[in-house]
Amino acid sequence: MSIRQIIDWAIEDSRSQMTGTIASEFYQYFDYACHWVWACDVDLGEQLAVLRCVPVAANNRELIYAEQGRAVTLSRLNNGKWVITGLAKSLNSTVHYIFMSFTDDTYQVLRKQLRGYIIRPLSYGELGTLVPPYGYGVLPYGAQGRFDAEGNFLEIVESY
Amino acid sequence: MRNISAAMQDIILGAGTRRPDYRVYAWDPATVTISEVVSATGVLDDPAPVDLTPYVSDASWTDRQLTFTLVDPAGLFHPDFGEFRHCLKDGAILRLLEGDETVPEVDWVITFTGQVHGQIGWKQSRSTGQITSRVTVFGRGEPQAYKRRKVTSREYTVGTDIGIALYDMCQTFMGLTAKEMRIPFTLGRQFKHKTNQLSQVTPWDGICSLLEVVCYQPFFDGEGKLSYVNKSLHRPTACLFEDGDRIKELEVPERSQDTINKVTVTFLDSQLERVDGPYQKLGQAQVTTGFFSMHETLETWWSEDHKQRADGTSMKVIKSVNSGILPVGTERYTQVDEFHGRIEVDISVWVPILATVMIATYLAAAYKPDKTTSNSTNLTPIEIPVQVGPSGTGAAFVSPGMLQVSEIPMTGWTISVGRVIQALALISILLIMMSIGSAQYEVWGTPYDFAYLEKKSVAIEDGLDYWLENNLDIKNDFIGTHDQSDIIAMTELTWQKCLSMPRKVSVTDDPRLEPGDIIGLPDGRKLVIIALSKSIKRGEIPTLLIEGCKVLTA
Repeated sequence: MSIRQIIDWAIEDSRSQMTGTIASEFYQYFDYACHWVWACDVDLGEQLAVLRCVPVAANNRELIYAEQGRAVTLSRLNNGKWVITGLAKSLNSTVHYIFMSFTDDTYQVLRKQLRGYIIRPLSYGELGTLVPPYGYGVLPYGAQGRFDAEGNFLEIVESY
Repeated sequence: MRNISAAMQDIILGAGTRRPDYRVYAWDPATVTISEVVSATGVLDDPAPVDLTPYVSDASWTDRQLTFTLVDPAGLFHPDFGEFRHCLKDGAILRLLEGDETVPEVDWVITFTGQVHGQIGWKQSRSTGQITSRVTVFGRGEPQAYKRRKVTSREYTVGTDIGIALYDMCQTFMGLTAKEMRIPFTLGRQFKHKTNQLSQVTPWDGICSLLEVVCYQPFFDGEGKLSYVNKSLHRPTACLFEDGDRIKELEVPERSQDTINKVTVTFLDSQLERVDGPYQKLGQAQVTTGFFSMHETLETWWSEDHKQRADGTSMKVIKSVNSGILPVGTERYTQVDEFHGRIEVDISVWVPILATVMIATYLAAAYKPDKTTSNSTNLTPIEIPVQVGPSGTGAAFVSPGMLQVSEIPMTGWTISVGRVIQALALISILLIMMSIGSAQYEVWGTPYDFAYLEKKSVAIEDGLDYWLENNLDIKNDFIGTHDQSDIIAMTELTWQKCLSMPRKVSVTDDPRLEPGDIIGLPDGRKLVIIALSKSIKRGEIPTLLIEGCKVLTA
């Protein structure tokens, strides 16, 4: 590996900001400092999982109101924890994946795929039809679902 | 590939015996600019350059740098007192011409144009009497001049060809003229966004970003003109080494570095896309209404600044206008446009009519006389049986018989008929009044907005495990569609894979070759040239060392 790559990795490691999408209602939890703090789950998009219990940074005057689906900026504290520090200007979206294969002297485009997903509350219709045994009452009202880029249902998102 | 004269081409291709020769010319930067030297056709002769050729030895050439030893026994180029010191001072412009003794100099090839930076090295030894000077000349793209200062370009509207912005950038911030550019004026790619601007980037980064859209990489060629390397390798070979006798050495160098196997291109989509928010309360309205108002119209906006858009809106009645005793009206909701809706409350027609009639009735009934239970005004004798007691007892007795009395006219039970009617009217009025109240409504729906989404195209080697990914990030907001970004991602990944397969070929010098050219080897394989280097000696055909990479074909 080259020094350039090592530096790139170091830069990536020290990255202190990223963008995510709010994936749950806001709730309170009791943190290690014995304070009630507002927090929510944040969907980091693509292959990264949903980050649970991300607290809203204290004294943040920018973040007055944010509902589910809104893009937010996460910042990393010195202790490695991520906190929501503001609203993001851009929103993670779907990703085109192009799979290629390389042989000795040739390359080939094997397939293209649209990836990415969204997390949203299930609609009334979906509440009764997604999970067996079907019918209303199986899923609680307000349950969240994860859908792929083409709108197909993937899974129920466990909420805290 | 450079365009060279037919005479030179014949010599290079072996039509005659090669008798290589070269010239090194230098200009005083105080009398001429590098732009003038590069823009001139051939070698600029006004002001005339100083011919350094007699003093040059051990020249080492790469496509980015020229280094040579200056044989200067007379001290002509001494930085302090040399007669020609101005020709090698900071910023001095030097050009290398390569050709053949049998070919006129006008047909020679300009293989290097650059400038001295700082001061040259110059050494005189008392013991040996030796005077040596080492000169390094840098190509136009090598110094930090174009890579230091940050600039902001003017705005370009949608549909403008990227080449126009590129030319603007080069002319405004790099001082280049159109003659100094070998990049086409139109690149065939237009800006997709409404407003496009380069902001606070260095000029070099700016043109790199613009050329990235067409998979080009800028560099300054041997003549000092801005040219490009096309990363797309779908093009014919510039030079085919068919017989192999011109190839002196072929090396596959060891390379033990991780290869880029994933390229992520992030761009801002040029199309505004609808982004839905969660279903939520968008607005609320309340009204106090009743018989005094036939119709109420309540405008409900989704935001205070009237800019929030929403869809699928509906009204939730928190407290109805009919929540009183009587159902007095109807409520309905319509979404007027994407920004607001209208709640209309209609009070039934009979309510104000009834209220008016009842008030009139109440008033009219006040004039209505009371009734009594007596209907007669004449005496109507009635007989009352009486008994008279015996005399002397102090008690009066009426003897049995009938006593006739008469009813007093206009007397009897008084019945206030008018009050009764008034009371009925009052009850009706009170009922209607009791039905007056505050109605509260909420409008719910799905808010949305239009935004330029940041999108990505990822070209990745198939079957790669997550932990093996070695990603290269490209972020460019001049890319506007997935089609463009897909091509860039695929081209870049193929380019990176090629870079991971370096090759070195030593061939008999061919001044036509330059970086970005594809050469064909006798075995049918192809190499793309990344860098070139050679040592130039008098009377000797140089050996050109080509550093390239294996070309992958689709």
